[in-house]
Amino acid sequence: MKRRPADVVAALSHVPGVAAAMVVGAADGLIVEMSPVKGAVAGAADMRKHTAALAAYLYSKVSRASHAARLGTPSFMRLEAERGHICVVGADDLVLVTIVTPEANLGRVRLDMMQAARDKT
Amino acid sequence: MTDLTVVEPWVAMPLKRLKEDARLLSGVLLHPSGRAIGQFGFSKPADVMSICALTSAINASARELGRQLYGKPFYEMHHAGGDRQVFMARCLAGGQEFLFVGVFDRESSLGMVEIYFAEFQKALEKLSPPPTETAKPLAAGDFEGELNRSLDSLFGPIG
Repeated sequence: MKRRPADVVAALSHVPGVAAAMVVGAADGLIVEMSPVKGAVAGAADMRKHTAALAAYLYSKVSRASHAARLGTPSFMRLEAERGHICVVGADDLVLVTIVTPEANLGRVRLDMMQAARDKT
Repeated sequence: MTDLTVVEPWVAMPLKRLKEDARLLSGVLLHPSGRAIGQFGFSKPADVMSICALTSAINASARELGRQLYGKPFYEMHHAGGDRQVFMARCLAGGQEFLFVGVFDRESSLGMVEIYFAEFQKALEKLSPPPTETAKPLAAGDFEGELNRSLDSLFGPIG
């Protein structure tokens, strides 16, 4: 990326509704850079490592499904859950992952994540 | 490839779950002495015997290397091969130490293996080896006999 992973994470974490942003290795699912979780309860288990590994894994499977359906590489993946969303965008050997609140402006989140993914060398 | 087999039944469920959740191709749980406790993905006792001996030696070397370099032993190791990757780490149960070595490919990832191994560690910590199955200190020179007994339990007596 032209921007450093730390800068990408900092920018995404300031998007309204983004509770946490991470840059994750696409192949190993390990966190390269992450933001703090907004509104996290003190002492609560930190699930960012789990979320990163599973989101990267899910994205790789979605990519496979997309290629199998001859749709090409997925540009944006959103998982809608009871209490929010997980958004993933691929950027070559990295994936950008955000944990998003239900009230977030998903259009803005999507746009900013895709811009961040494009903003690479 | 074979299904999971264990010498000590109390490790069967956590090991099965680790295998399935982390999508491991094969794995061995063993005592640091090299005695196998459980395995999956292997059909030949000789393979498990080699892996136990090598894991035990690698663990001892890695710990000493960590001590020499940083004053603390290394407890976890990962090797990324071309197609397959090896993950090795320790866990505790009932005050006893165990080693685990697992192999995975692109169907999994190091991140996945790490998070599910952490769950495996927690599950094992909650369990305690039954007193009768507690590892006895090995008599000097009994390493081979101990290893053969555990392999007999995993694969049945040979010959």
